[in-house]
Parts: sequence; structure tokens; C-alpha cells
Amino acid sequence: MDVIIIMCLGILAGRFLVSRRIRKGNEFISLTCTFLLILSMGITLGRNENLLKDLSSLGLSSLLFFAVPTVLSILIVFFLTQKFMKKKNSSQKNEVDK
Amino acid sequence: MIVLFMICALGIGLLYGMSGIELTFLNFISNHSNIILYILMFSVGISIGMQKGIFSKIKEYHIKIFIIPLGIIAGSFLGGIICSLILKIPIGYGTAITSGMGWYSLAGVTISSLVSAEFGSIAFMSNLMREMFSFILIPFLAGHFNYYTCIAPAGATSEDTTLPIILKYTNEETVVLSVFNGVICSLMVPFLISSCLNMM
Repeated sequence: MDVIIIMCLGILAGRFLVSRRIRKGNEFISLTCTFLLILSMGITLGRNENLLKDLSSLGLSSLLFFAVPTVLSILIVFFLTQKFMKKKNSSQKNEVDK
Repeated sequence: MIVLFMICALGIGLLYGMSGIELTFLNFISNHSNIILYILMFSVGISIGMQKGIFSKIKEYHIKIFIIPLGIIAGSFLGGIICSLILKIPIGYGTAITSGMGWYSLAGVTISSLVSAEFGSIAFMSNLMREMFSFILIPFLAGHFNYYTCIAPAGATSEDTTLPIILKYTNEETVVLSVFNGVICSLMVPFLISSCLNMM
């Protein structure tokens, strides 16, 4: 929950306090934090003595956790947009015809 | 390029952790990952808050603008349940992993901090795969499905990394929806991960 509160504070800061000129600086901070967190995750994983044994199963699990939600997201969005955004679809068809 | 950069970070961390070498700076980072996560979340919040034009677009599309993020969240959540049942792991963990919706860095580090490094690693790799495969899937979906569906594999990344490819294969209208979807999904990722883990 604290993560969400901090992000909401960031949204308020971005909306009302922070100048748009610092956009690049903010992107750099975001990228640096991401880099450091992934590095930290790697260190934690590397210190795990069973890591090499687990890697094969983690790889297959990851593939499954990628494929199933991605395919389902595609199918659900396709179904919903075909049903509720039909007007937009016909304009897309016209664009393709052009 | 950034994806490669992040994979390198993971590789360096893995090698350091496995080597048994002790460096004060890297130990400090490893022991204070929560503080770094808070800084990242504040920075992400600032990025979302800065996109003022996006909020005014909501009025033009009305409620229909939520169809795409809703579909993506539903698909990801359902996918998490199915994967959990197949792999016989708690549904809360499975749905938390798929709630990353392509935001591999945040999902990986958050789940790593809140659950375990193994689940964090699965979250990182599966969401990284989602982002990387989006670059292949988007051109295919634009040709065989409809433009809106191109946003689905991108998930939370549809406002940044996968946006250029969506722009190339669809139109401006889809790009606006794509940015809006990215904002909504990015906003929902931490909330969904926390909620799924709280189900435990």
C-alpha cells in the first residue's frame, strides 16, 4: 500500500509542483532506480545456492506466465473492441482500402 | 537498447551474488532496495502527473476509452489464474506476476521484495518476454485483427517502449488510446500486485 501512496504523491507533484523542464532528469532517475533494483534482484538471486538448479524450471514457468495472459489479453480486447467500438473498425477498414 | 541494459544489470548482479565477493556499495544497494523502489515509484508518479493532455482526452472518448485497459487487465488476471492452476502455485502469486502487464522492472523488483527472488525472477522474465514479443506481435495484429488489439500485448508499456511500433503500424487515434491505456495500466500495476498479494 505504501508503494501506491508514494506513487500518488508523485502524480500530485508531477501535476502541480514539478516543472515540465525536468522531464529528462526524472526519466534518468527512473532509469537509474530501475537499473539499481534489477541489479539488487540479480544479487539476491545470485546468492541463492539453488539458483542454477531452479533456472530451468523458472524459464519454462516464465514462458507460460508470458504466453497465457498475453494471448488472453489479445482475445478479450479483440472481442470487446469488435463489439463496442465497431464504428472505429469500419473507419480502419476504409483507411486500409485507401 | 534499454532492455539490453537491464539484462546486463541482472547478469552483473547474478555474477556478483554467485562470486561471493563483498563490495560495500553493492551490498548497500542490495540491503536498501525498498528505498530505491520508493524513489522509483515517486518518479513514475511524476511522469504520469506530467501528462496533462491525456486527462483531457478522456472527455472525447467517454467511457469507451476504458474498454482496452479493462480487456488487458482481465486477460492478464485470467491468465495468472490459469498459470497458477497449471503450475500449482498460490493464485495470489500467479495473478501478481501477470499483473505486471509487461512492466518487467517494477513487477520483478516488487514481487522480489514482497514475495521471493524466485517469483520476482519469474515476474521479471515473463514481463520482459511480453514486452519483447510485443514488437513481433503488433505488426501481425495490425494486419490480421484490428488496430485496437495492437495495444493488448504491449499492456503497461503501450505509453513508452512499444509506442513507436504502435505508431508505425496503426494510426494517431490508436496512439492516443495506446498512451491512455499505458497510463491506466501503469497506474494499476502496483495496485493490482499489492491487491493480489494481499489475497494470500
